[in-house]
Amino acid sequence: MTTAGREPPTRAEVIAVLAALGDRAAEDVTERIGSLELAWLVSQVEERYDTTLELTDESVLQMATVSGAVATLGELLAGAGDG
Amino acid sequence: MALHSASQSHAAQEPADTFPSGEWVHEELLAGDPGEPCLLMGASSPVTRGDLARRVDEQQHLLEANGLRPGGTVALQLPPSVEYVATLLAAWRAGAQASLLDHRLVRREVDNALERLAPQVVVTARSASAAPMAGYAQAVAQATARAAGRPAATQHVLIQLSSGSTGPSKIIARTAADLIGELGRYELLDQYPKRGERVVLLASMVHVLGLVGGLLHCLHAGVRLAFPERLTAEGIRDAVAAGAEPTMVLGVPFHAELLTAGGGPLPQLSRMVVAGELIRPWLPGAFTDRYKVPLGTMYGMTELGVIATDLDGRTHPALAPAPGMSLRVADGELLVKMPASPYIGLIDDTRWADGWLRTRDAAVIDEATGLVTIMGRLDSQISVGGLKVDLTEVEQTLSALQEVDSAVVTYGGVIEAYLVLRAGSSVSDVESALADQLAPYKRPRDLQVLETMPRTATGKISRDRAVLRAAAGAAPTVGQ
Repeated sequence: MTTAGREPPTRAEVIAVLAALGDRAAEDVTERIGSLELAWLVSQVEERYDTTLELTDESVLQMATVSGAVATLGELLAGAGDG
Repeated sequence: MALHSASQSHAAQEPADTFPSGEWVHEELLAGDPGEPCLLMGASSPVTRGDLARRVDEQQHLLEANGLRPGGTVALQLPPSVEYVATLLAAWRAGAQASLLDHRLVRREVDNALERLAPQVVVTARSASAAPMAGYAQAVAQATARAAGRPAATQHVLIQLSSGSTGPSKIIARTAADLIGELGRYELLDQYPKRGERVVLLASMVHVLGLVGGLLHCLHAGVRLAFPERLTAEGIRDAVAAGAEPTMVLGVPFHAELLTAGGGPLPQLSRMVVAGELIRPWLPGAFTDRYKVPLGTMYGMTELGVIATDLDGRTHPALAPAPGMSLRVADGELLVKMPASPYIGLIDDTRWADGWLRTRDAAVIDEATGLVTIMGRLDSQISVGGLKVDLTEVEQTLSALQEVDSAVVTYGGVIEAYLVLRAGSSVSDVESALADQLAPYKRPRDLQVLETMPRTATGKISRDRAVLRAAAGAAPTVGQ
């Protein structure tokens, strides 16, 4: 699987994905990402990029904040694209 | 509220001198073809009924080597694993009373629970490993004898702690007969999985839905129980697709939302059933559009197990009482007939009295059809992915921190806290302190610092979210 040349999600896109869980407004999304939100975010990214993210314990820990998730998804999707 | 001691009260609190033997475990849960797979954890080899029986033997020896005897008590704090299942069944087969503690609880919560429950043996994970976001773990249990432990004071075999709405949490207890009765209710539900079928379990096996509706039902009825390699939408669909049997997915509403965001029909999928909290109105239709099978719902409580169901999604949001359940509504609150109080220790007449359990859920019963519609909670309990959290507990824990002057906790999709800090304290100090006090799912996701607490005209601290948010002013949110 590859990311088919798509750019990794931006911060705004990650927030939009999180906001869709619970039909929230973007401004109601918190910086901290809970375990349910993380499952949602990973599922959504895998769906949209048609890939299975190669998660590690460390990457899951890093995705506990929006900033960390943006950076980590960038790395994970770049890795998938290389593969 | 009238509180009085159990010894002065009801039949449920009979002494344990006639504590039931553990024979029911074999008869109800372990009997059957030893070659038949019963637990399927990701890509690992299936665990057969024979395998499980051997693991139960081993765990029973471990418990007995630590002094557990018939009528004794044991507390389990293990992640979802074959080890958890084997140890729980071993405790019951040893004729003991088992308390279940969520493996996500932090040290303080566990210590408080052990102090109240006084188990003679505590079983924790000596080692546990799980793939990232896995639906199960590989665990090795270790048992520790506690000199301060006490034998069972009642005949109950299962003890669970509620999220306490006022004061300490309640100790909820169930007898073997009560659990077997609930298994009988599931057996009478035509659409619930039968022998030769499969359940993919997403709900926690420590809590009543996953424990009885998932684990115990599957063992009792000869249904294979599968756990996904990863708790993501793709991981859940892979788990469904991994076997040929008709398969029901059992989880909480969040899991249905996860699956509804993508994917398509799976030939094995017969239905998904969710419980634990109300679902959003659009969800059943959206789920069925995508997977071409029903999204059913159930309503139950730790105290009683399954109470009402709509497994076909035909009467949503109304539910039919499960076989043998008698319901009524008084002053807008749902009451369920229950012969004895499910609470050990202090009995609260506002929760159980005269053979009726007060659910604290608002409900309406259609007199013509007998169907019940649950409207929502009447107290401060909320649900985070099906896990019950009492906002009062969160607020009291926050308020007790030395960094916090005062705190108000509200819920608006996530748990929110509004804080007035003591001089020299910061939000990160509060977060650090809270990490030692509350399990992650109970911690506020949004912490807002206020100069002072807004008050109502009568001088009470306001609990109005709009007022609190206004007081927080232009507090930073990541979406802006």
